[in-house]
Amino acid sequence: MSAFEVIGSILVVINKRMVRAAFWLAMTLVTIGAIYLLFQSEFVFLIQIIVYAGAVPVLFVFGIMLTRRTIMDEPGPEGGP
Amino acid sequence: MTSAPLVPNLFAVCEVLVLAIVWVVDQILYALAGLIPPLTGLAQWFDPVARARLGMGPLGSELLIVVVTWLIAVTVIVIWATLVNLLTMMWVERKFYSRLQDRYGIMISIWSLPFWPFNRAHRPTHRGTGYLQNIADGVKLLQKENITPRNADSAMFHISPVLIASSTLMIFAALPWSSGFYVANLELGILFIFAAFSLAPLGILIAGWSANNKYTLVGGLRAAAMLMAYEIPMILSVIALVFFTGSLNPLTIVKQQERTLFSLGPLAIPAWYVFSPQILGFIVFSVSMMAEMERIPFDIPEAEAELVEGWTTEYSGMRFGLVFGFKWLRMIAGAALIAILYLGGWSGPVFVTLSVGGVPVPIVPEEAWFLLKIYLISIVFIWISWSVPRVRIDQILNIGWKKLIPYSLGAIIIAAAAIASGLWAVG
Repeated sequence: MSAFEVIGSILVVINKRMVRAAFWLAMTLVTIGAIYLLFQSEFVFLIQIIVYAGAVPVLFVFGIMLTRRTIMDEPGPEGGP
Repeated sequence: MTSAPLVPNLFAVCEVLVLAIVWVVDQILYALAGLIPPLTGLAQWFDPVARARLGMGPLGSELLIVVVTWLIAVTVIVIWATLVNLLTMMWVERKFYSRLQDRYGIMISIWSLPFWPFNRAHRPTHRGTGYLQNIADGVKLLQKENITPRNADSAMFHISPVLIASSTLMIFAALPWSSGFYVANLELGILFIFAAFSLAPLGILIAGWSANNKYTLVGGLRAAAMLMAYEIPMILSVIALVFFTGSLNPLTIVKQQERTLFSLGPLAIPAWYVFSPQILGFIVFSVSMMAEMERIPFDIPEAEAELVEGWTTEYSGMRFGLVFGFKWLRMIAGAALIAILYLGGWSGPVFVTLSVGGVPVPIVPEEAWFLLKIYLISIVFIWISWSVPRVRIDQILNIGWKKLIPYSLGAIIIAAAAIASGLWAVG
């Protein structure tokens, strides 16, 4: 689980496509929830899933989408959309 | 008088099934062992009599058998939810709204099958009940090509139906159908169901974004905005309910509603939570559940007049079938949640309980009451959705944030006051 989490968090940082980075962030947060589950704290796991897998990536993706001019606009080499 | 379930314990039933299959396989193995002697040991490992003679434990406690039994139990629930209830619910909806629109609706009968082997010259081919129409539609979708748009983000485009379908099926891992017919009895079952429900907006948003189409993008954004907005009053009204139940276990919640609240002459009013100060929470929960299901007054993510087919526009073949058909699965789950939390779940009168070989078999089992409640709630939802016009996006967000959330907070205050003043006891 920790390996998945580390891979996911590295992918969040190095991914060029912002929406994919948000998706990897969702995976990272779910694996953190799975670590809670391994500690047998089901309540924290379920709250983690509800809040961090259901809501936070959606907000991120919202923010990314609303700041782009076209649908799959990627920042150029100089940065900036 | 409490009722009894038809399936007292799904795991035990599946274990009997597995052991019966193992017995048949074992007889074949013994027959083969006459030809190939080394197979005798394997056959004896599966044979309860030989195991007892060799001093080994019972077959049912072997890890292999336990794992296979769990797999069979999960398969039984998935087949029960999708092949039986999903198809029936689609059929109920299509027939019912056709009747509301003063037409017959789907009428495919078994005589209309192209490969029907017998004479059908004098058979009416389109006078049936139409139950086979959904199966025919499914087969048609399976045959169609899966098209991925050229500029789509292919990986995300293919992941999101999997995410939506699997999170919808996860609901049924914790959703009990009666006091015995369930896969897992979780102490936090209701919370688990909401966690599985809340995974879908991410999948919908990804589906809308990855297709690289302005209709799907707008549909996905609307769906995510709406689902996020309506999840809050839904969970808040459940918080109000938990003041009364003191538990998040669906079995416990239903058990609390099985007693009689008071008697009106010959009528015994059951202690369902809808007949308690929770009535406001019930209304808020039902309305937001209807929005979670993307049914018509709240179906702006689809809005076929403006957005073609919303976020499902670019899907084709069985992928479309999955994301489209699983809406009914979510509707079944939502109706089941309403029934469990507010309408007494599977509690209901049982008239006669027969005893077949020492096992009590009820005439009207708990499953029948639960299914009756699920289908009645769903019919009410279908009725509402085909009678009212669609609401605009800004009106929807206004209803969600400015009406339902204050009402659900009010429900919490009422519930807390009822508990604090001793009007209603916990549990």
